[in-house]
Amino acid sequence: MSVVTTPHISSNGKVAPSERPAIAEKSAELKKWKSWQRLLFRIAFIFFISISIPNSPEWYKIVFNIDWTNLHYRDLYDIARFGSGINFFGNSIFGNALLGYANWITTLLLSIASGLVWTLIAKRRKTERNEYNILYYWLRVIVRYRAGIGIIGFGFTKLLPVQMPYPSLGLLNTNLGDFTAQKIYWLSIGIVPWYQVFAGVVEVTAGTLLFFRRTTTLGAILLFGALGDIVYVNFSYDGGVHVYSSYFVLLAAFLLIDDLPRIYRLLVQEKYTVAVHIYPVFKSKWQQFARAGLKAATVFVFLILLFKLQLVNFLYDPYKQPSVAGLTTLRGNYNVTEFRINNQLVPYSPVDSVRWQEVTFEKWTTLTYKVNRPTLIDLSNGGGDPQKDINRTFELSGTGGGRRVFHYYADTVRNVLYLEDKFKAVPDRRNRAAGVGGDGGTDKNLGVVKNGSLNGREIIARKSKADNWIPAESAAVIGTELDKINKRAASTRRVREFAEPQKNEKRNRMVFKYETRDGSHIILTGVNENSDSLYIILDRADRKYALAESGLQAGKY
Amino acid sequence: MAIDTIHQPGKNYDSAASLQRLSWNAFAKISFRIFFIYFFIQVVPLDWKFYRDIFHINFASLQFADIFNIAHYSPWFFSGGQTYADWGIIFLLSITGAFIWTIAGNKKLKEYNLLYYWLRVLVRYRLAIAVIAYGFIKLFPIQAPYPSLSNLNTNYGDFTRWKLFSLSLGIVPGYETFLGAVEIATGLLLLYRKTASVGAFIVIIFTGNVFMSNLAYEGGEQVYSLYLITLALFVLTFDVQRLADLLVFQKPAAPVHFKPHYQTKARFYTKITLKTVFILFFVLLYGWQTGAAFYSGTGRFPQEPGLKGTTGIYNVAAFRINNDSIGYSATDPNRWQDVVFEKWNTISIRSNRPVVIDSNNVENFDDHSPGRAYELQGSAARHYYTYVVDTVTHTLLLKNKNRHYGEETLLLHYRKAGDSSIVLTGINERKDSIFVVLDKLNKKYLLEEVAQTGRQKPIKL
Repeated sequence: MSVVTTPHISSNGKVAPSERPAIAEKSAELKKWKSWQRLLFRIAFIFFISISIPNSPEWYKIVFNIDWTNLHYRDLYDIARFGSGINFFGNSIFGNALLGYANWITTLLLSIASGLVWTLIAKRRKTERNEYNILYYWLRVIVRYRAGIGIIGFGFTKLLPVQMPYPSLGLLNTNLGDFTAQKIYWLSIGIVPWYQVFAGVVEVTAGTLLFFRRTTTLGAILLFGALGDIVYVNFSYDGGVHVYSSYFVLLAAFLLIDDLPRIYRLLVQEKYTVAVHIYPVFKSKWQQFARAGLKAATVFVFLILLFKLQLVNFLYDPYKQPSVAGLTTLRGNYNVTEFRINNQLVPYSPVDSVRWQEVTFEKWTTLTYKVNRPTLIDLSNGGGDPQKDINRTFELSGTGGGRRVFHYYADTVRNVLYLEDKFKAVPDRRNRAAGVGGDGGTDKNLGVVKNGSLNGREIIARKSKADNWIPAESAAVIGTELDKINKRAASTRRVREFAEPQKNEKRNRMVFKYETRDGSHIILTGVNENSDSLYIILDRADRKYALAESGLQAGKY
Repeated sequence: MAIDTIHQPGKNYDSAASLQRLSWNAFAKISFRIFFIYFFIQVVPLDWKFYRDIFHINFASLQFADIFNIAHYSPWFFSGGQTYADWGIIFLLSITGAFIWTIAGNKKLKEYNLLYYWLRVLVRYRLAIAVIAYGFIKLFPIQAPYPSLSNLNTNYGDFTRWKLFSLSLGIVPGYETFLGAVEIATGLLLLYRKTASVGAFIVIIFTGNVFMSNLAYEGGEQVYSLYLITLALFVLTFDVQRLADLLVFQKPAAPVHFKPHYQTKARFYTKITLKTVFILFFVLLYGWQTGAAFYSGTGRFPQEPGLKGTTGIYNVAAFRINNDSIGYSATDPNRWQDVVFEKWNTISIRSNRPVVIDSNNVENFDDHSPGRAYELQGSAARHYYTYVVDTVTHTLLLKNKNRHYGEETLLLHYRKAGDSSIVLTGINERKDSIFVVLDKLNKKYLLEEVAQTGRQKPIKL
């Protein structure tokens, strides 16, 4: 491997003669770096390598186990999204996570220490190099591809708008003040899917530009601007992804270091500016093939294949929405015309703590109702990668207002709904591959919440009925949820998750028989989670929303 | 004034990046003439309506909104602001003008470097005024205020997209301030020749996003934001070749070779003075006024205080109309469901009576109370009333704020029953007599609770 520097000073003759000495001088500079530059480089090298490679064994395990014959978009997303940095000493400094940035600081301190040791050893052994031009080149390659792949993984969930779903009926019927700030931001993007597509295009474009040397600066500027805004959004709305978005800003800033002084020289100092780039030359055939092959593979996997998988996800299995269609006759908004509990009539009241106020049947297998009684709120972002509909909680996360959200299985022969509360005090871990810096409620997702009312013991102590709560004949009609989505969306990931034993599944349950002719008038009879018998009459409400619905919505229902 | 070149020409100088050629070809000259007329009409206030509006400004008590409106100038020929059709007309005018110019103009002129320079000055100052004007109303978060109590108690689906955009921005004043700071910094970069292209580039990205938001949220500033983008593109064009050479093509990049040279001191001082006056007026005075407006609480909500000690949301515990009692109902259009008393003199009533939405989707700040309608714009489900209190007779005179219901008035006698109840009696908008008992709700908002305790602690609400 040898080195070539651009511009080709002698070959194209486009340089004014008066500028030639300037280039020669610049080239000389590149041949010997100043000692502080070399030290800084060594530190930067260790730091950026550390934050560009995954640091959790779990990531390697997950990626190693990917079934490439039957992929899910999340498999590639997991490759693209990982925790990094040196974490042998945990992710906090003196017990303080410093908003999640502690790992950066630990990594930086260790990089400084290693950089000094490196310098010392090089000096002692008298093997110190004059420059690191080629190593710097490769460091930039690693950072470019890390940032590019990472942002593309993120961007595709927007380009095919599933990251911020269109609000469900239950969310549309919730007061603005009853959401968390995080939820309000996510919804504000969810209502304009075409804008989300635009944001995704920006992110994917930025990532793609980073794959090529000549467009790297443009990509880095775009990445810096877009993700800089997202960092601020996350701090303002408490979105929980501030560290991961700052990560891209940091990588983008590193990639801009060379060109910023040049822009200053050209525009502000108004001087003739020559950017000298030093690239390795690949002489042997295998080197050329390896380079082209790796590059083509990256483009194929993260631009073409991921697009296809993400499209399938958007069409049939949007990851934040339940994917199984709800009963068609029952969909819509309902007023609770009559409500009897244990045979006692309770008239409509917005202040009663038992009486249901309104009901929605969503497009998918969810029923929600509103009641004026406090309940624990799911404060996560409702994201992650759950395959089971009951664990897809965007429709309840960050949402108060007394709404209860239940998943149902419908026995359409006997007209029975088997309902389970979608709220789970200690949710399953999400974003396992990402490790730290997952999406929201991370501590809770890791099961480390230490609070008297929520220590998990209480939940387990809650007696639930025997787990075969759905009689065999109904279960036969209901079928298996695993196969209820379009075949094109099937994946090994889905199969594996459905095969896993259930953890911690102590949920509120209700069983209702439903009677209706066309869905405009429904009678529900059954028992709620406290074994109270309920008799409920629902009448469809033709609710007109001021919010103009978008035609671009994910899923097939 | 003369041309001052940094690089002496004729010395084997052949960089492709050299834009300031000594002699422009015919194509360059004709396109320049078209662009010159086009941008001249777009940025220099020639529209008589502009002066009519200036004439109406009371300069003795100049408000930030007055300066904002000056900064919001763009010429229009038909009615109610600029449309793309106006661009078409201006473009046709430019082509016609350029045609005449080409025939009748001085054919010996080899280039328009000087004219190009001054046109770019006009465009970048025009652009700077615009982004600074928007920057300050975000820096001091006036553009999107924190949602009112009524807004917090309106269902998400009962707002229009535009309103949801504004409300979503309104809950994070810190973010709005950040956006404003970016815009102001961008505007300042545009005021200096050497940094103008960087500023223009940021405008393209920032306002590009604003333009997309206007499309997506059905905002009213779509044409205006694209107008600003075209100005930014024009400003950037001057440097785009050299920047592309440097950053993309990895070729040597030549700097600008042209800048104005002020031959007399008088001219130089004129320039300095003009620039100073500009900055004093559009940056310092405007910024000061905007800040003053923000801190004095003027903004987009009414200023008159409401009935003392009533702020909050109330459950309508009892409701009688012409002495017929009506129980709680989610469907009855006459039955009130809940009532909000704002800090200021607005009452909003939620009921199942439909609302024809009062929609406005442009920034309008010279909205004088009681007309200040931001609180109800783009919002259904609640009827909003401004009111006058007579504390002697204990009566409230309510007037519907929605322009579609301008005639509606209610005359209500109020009586406070205990700490948290209000009894209203009187006649409603249909001259029916009503009797209403309101019980204050101790409502906790998840939005505010989580803001205090964070998302790591469980919350029961």
